[in-house]
Amino acid sequence: MDTQPSKAKKKFLRKSETINNKNPSSSFKFWDNIFSYGLLPILIIVLWETATRLNITPAAILPPIEAVYTAFINQINNGEMIADVTVSLTRVLKGYSYAVVLGLSFGSLMGISLRANKIFSSVFNGIRQIPPLAWIPLIILWFGIGEVSKVVIIAKGAFFPILLNTINGIKNTPKGYLEVAELHNISKLDLFRKVYFPSSLPSVFVGLRLGLGVAWAMVVAAEIIASSSGLGYRINDSRALMQSDVMIANMIVIGFIGSIMDLIIRNLAKHFSKWQVS
Amino acid sequence: MSSSENNLVIKNLSKCFNVNNEEVMVLQNINLDIREGEFISIVGHSGCGKSTLLKIIAGLVDFDVGLVTLGGQELKKPGKERGMVFQEHRLLPWLTVKDNVSFGLYNLSKAEKEKIIADHIDLVGLKGFENAYPHQLSGGMAQRAAIARSLANRPKVLLLDEPFGALDALTRIQMQKEILKIWEKEKTTMILVTHDIDEAIYLGDRIIVMSSRPGTIKEIIPVQLSRPRDRSSHDFGTIRKKIFTEFFKEEETLLEYYL
Repeated sequence: MDTQPSKAKKKFLRKSETINNKNPSSSFKFWDNIFSYGLLPILIIVLWETATRLNITPAAILPPIEAVYTAFINQINNGEMIADVTVSLTRVLKGYSYAVVLGLSFGSLMGISLRANKIFSSVFNGIRQIPPLAWIPLIILWFGIGEVSKVVIIAKGAFFPILLNTINGIKNTPKGYLEVAELHNISKLDLFRKVYFPSSLPSVFVGLRLGLGVAWAMVVAAEIIASSSGLGYRINDSRALMQSDVMIANMIVIGFIGSIMDLIIRNLAKHFSKWQVS
Repeated sequence: MSSSENNLVIKNLSKCFNVNNEEVMVLQNINLDIREGEFISIVGHSGCGKSTLLKIIAGLVDFDVGLVTLGGQELKKPGKERGMVFQEHRLLPWLTVKDNVSFGLYNLSKAEKEKIIADHIDLVGLKGFENAYPHQLSGGMAQRAAIARSLANRPKVLLLDEPFGALDALTRIQMQKEILKIWEKEKTTMILVTHDIDEAIYLGDRIIVMSSRPGTIKEIIPVQLSRPRDRSSHDFGTIRKKIFTEFFKEEETLLEYYL
């Protein structure tokens, strides 16, 4: 009677395959992954479509998916999307680069030298305890509403995760390796190059990923408060114009770019951690 | 006749540690005279200070009272003339075997470095594994690489702190034979700390029995058996029993028996 098992039955059969089968085939794993990873996103899309089709929410608050897509295409066609992405991305990359250089330098210094740690830690901790958003008005007062203040805001925000994780990574260098280094009387440069730094890399990469997340958060905040260009500005501007479709389209773009950058760092981390037995 | 040129002499060595604001005497009045090229085993309970003694000789730990000299020169900081092998291999996981072995090599031309690396990798039987990473090696192989690293600078004294403790029993016996081979080839003075009595007898020319808390030298037992030694021979057993009674305080008069 049944020509094809129903979708539900297929799902059940696959589930029982995981329970009974200790070595699922790779094609099974592929479909299993698609099912597992895709379940919630598909559910969200279904709920979204249902809510908008049945007019549960007004269009101004929750635009239909189609409208978001249309807004996205429009933004590309009128050139604003490319311009916004370029402006925001440039700011992020500039600020993030400063944060990386300063964070890694101070982190290494304070991780290796106890004295350096004592000298800098109180000031850094003090600055860090004041939330980045609370710093924005002062930074704008000092550096104006131009590009410089945005870069400073982003750099300041991204600096601390990188700093703390670098210090942590260096401090956690196993004492056994330091003893071997002492035994062999290796040069200070080699001590850093061959012992402290490679050992700290896993923590350093965690810091780099966290710092990037903060950099994106800061660019949106800085652009909402004092800017006339960029993705953050566009989100705020479209809110004023009740264009929730443009707003959501820009948010998705930010999330997408952020994910790609995070993926790049994750892959770099994997490449540099090949020696770790996971 | 071995010259006294590179003898390791320890005089009146004492060392205290400060633990929770209390002075704990870890080593008390250690006196040792180790001839060049000797193989010394040190046996004792955990915590008797034998590892601390090795680290003091290596220059990693300072001491309160006493004198440590090698060939007349006072030893204070680590130096090329002393190498050390630990219980964990402590190979840097991000460096290949080759780079690990050459870790302490400085002021040498590239060709000289390559030759030293190749010689020592060959010495420990790791030929072919130059470009392997530590996580790809077995425990025994990794420890061999560590030994190669410690010998790369041709030290006069090699200190071994329970070097085979982390290996399984069969590999341990294999490594004991290997270290004897290396010793016979390189003629480095070897000082080995172990809690394995059989290992101490198998390897050492003399066995230093240490008591604990505070660590002192209880007795020095010469082992005058020819190598390779038979672990099940009568003489081996006699010495084993002698050391046993040192640790387990059986009151018995032992016949001193030398071959």
